[in-house]
Amino acid sequence: MWQYTLKRIFQGIITIWFIATATFVAMHSVPGDPLSSERATTPAIRANLEERYGLNKPILEQYALYIGSFLKGDFGISFTQRNRQVNDIIREHFPVSATLGILAVTFAALGGVLFGALTALYRNRLPDTIIMFLVILGISVPSFVFAALGQLLLVNINNLLGFSLLPVAGWGTVAHMLIPALVLGMSTMAYVTRLMRSSMLEIIHSDYIRTAKAKGLPAGRIFTRHELRNAILPVVTVLGPAIATITTGGFVVELVFAIPGLGRFFVQAVQQLDYTVIMGTTVFYGAFLVTMVILVDLLYGWIDPRVRVQ
Amino acid sequence: MTSPLLEVSNLHVEFDTYGGTVKAVRGVDFHVDAGKTLAIVGESGCGKSVTVQAMMGLIPMPPGRITQGSARLRGQEILGRSTVDGREVRGAQIGMIFQDPMSSLNPTMSIGDQIAEPLLVHRGYSAAQARARAVELLEMVRIPEAARRAKQYPFEFSGGMLQRAMIAMAISCKPTLLIADEPTTALDVTIQAQILDLLRDLQNETGMALILITHDLGVVARMADEVAVMYAGRIVESGSVEDVFYRSSHPYTVGLKAAMPSNDPQQQHELRPIEGSPPDLFSPPVGCAYAARCPHSMGICQQRPAQLFPVGDAHYARCWLQHPESPHRPAELSLGGHHE
Repeated sequence: MWQYTLKRIFQGIITIWFIATATFVAMHSVPGDPLSSERATTPAIRANLEERYGLNKPILEQYALYIGSFLKGDFGISFTQRNRQVNDIIREHFPVSATLGILAVTFAALGGVLFGALTALYRNRLPDTIIMFLVILGISVPSFVFAALGQLLLVNINNLLGFSLLPVAGWGTVAHMLIPALVLGMSTMAYVTRLMRSSMLEIIHSDYIRTAKAKGLPAGRIFTRHELRNAILPVVTVLGPAIATITTGGFVVELVFAIPGLGRFFVQAVQQLDYTVIMGTTVFYGAFLVTMVILVDLLYGWIDPRVRVQ
Repeated sequence: MTSPLLEVSNLHVEFDTYGGTVKAVRGVDFHVDAGKTLAIVGESGCGKSVTVQAMMGLIPMPPGRITQGSARLRGQEILGRSTVDGREVRGAQIGMIFQDPMSSLNPTMSIGDQIAEPLLVHRGYSAAQARARAVELLEMVRIPEAARRAKQYPFEFSGGMLQRAMIAMAISCKPTLLIADEPTTALDVTIQAQILDLLRDLQNETGMALILITHDLGVVARMADEVAVMYAGRIVESGSVEDVFYRSSHPYTVGLKAAMPSNDPQQQHELRPIEGSPPDLFSPPVGCAYAARCPHSMGICQQRPAQLFPVGDAHYARCWLQHPESPHRPAELSLGGHHE
């Protein structure tokens, strides 16, 4: 197990290095640079700025400088936001995105497992039909539609009640997080529900569930001890990538609900070719996701003894 | 006469499928006495597994349906209910083991925990007591290093050991009846013998009765006190193992015996299969289900289902040839009805 963990961590580090390099190459192959959007640049000012940010150095040297400063944990200074450290941007805004993302994944996993199990237990009956219809909606409707609808619904509910049940936008308390997290986790929840349903249907008809019945175990115990743990395995496998899509895909939801997350800076930085911010946020996100995937893999080993031994 | 431990009468089971309704079990009667072994023999699809699964409440309903019949354990009806006198039947009074031990155990739960589970649920053991008892049970089914093995998972066990673990689980609550549904079919021959020996030894130690479902006549000869031969959802011959083997009274039993391979040089013969195939149970034949394959088939066999005729003491055959006025008297059949 320890050997397996160490191996996964080593692979993770290689992955992060690869992400950093690929981002660097991609960024520099896009025409233009961070200074091309500045309006009043005379060649002299431009040369000064290039000198200051090290943009006039050969590309390989810039690469070495980047990697060097990453190793020290320093992502540099933003090009477009004067005097703002990339580290500060991440430190201020990433926790917001991460909280939202993890809450969304939790919603998606719990809801998906619950609804998936329900649909399997009520196969071809009313609860199954209703939930599977909603699942199709959840998968096919884009998140900004849910975001807008969710917000509209909140406004109407608050109007109807005459007081603010849940805030419509902004950030700060748990109340602010609930609806955005639900919206953000919606499509993943739908996907997990489908996965859980088919996996559960397979397990329900397996020989060892028949054995559990022959042992005279109560239905509740069969469900929790025998069905759930086995049915959940494929769901755990997709959780790693799901965390990836959710935390990086939160931009639209953050925008609609006016949440000061990292997504906005990420998108702005790409539009403005803000080299340091792009590099910093990408590599940071990359590292975050690699960590999550490793954690999910270890969780998988904990659930399934067959993985643990290898 | 003492009443039997288990008495099944007139059991009918049907399954709804897209193709129509399959009448899988069409009126089965048998009984098992305490401490004895009943073997139910028959080819695939004859309804032998469905019969015992119906008793244990393991038939998924729908599509399955028990349309008629009763199964009484010590006089108490168990069909359609899970407890008798407030005590759970399944896993406590009747234990059951299955054909494929590889897939019959939960892959994500340790062997010891799975054996301990019935004790926790039916006997109110504490977790520690149940775990200790699970180790003892593993020792009883002759698994070496039981304490260490109890902590392992099914994928770390061989097929034969898994079947031993299944047996340990099934007998954990000291059932009065153990049902073994083709317990050795998925195992190789040397392991088969060990498992059968184990079952017989445990039976001697605990005094439980055994229902052994099999299509292997060798297993029957070795294990059974009583035999019931099933064909197309009905019992066609039943009696003591000597009666059924040496005084076979139904052409199907005779056919099964002839189809059995032998390594006795004296009896060297080619395998003689029973020609044809079992009837379609979507619409079972009006007459005797075996008539189409029977070498001695008569006119009446096509028209009316045969009754169960007594052949000897507690030996019955469902065949018109056993009718006192039957015109045919095939030499290979033991005929009872003509004696008096």
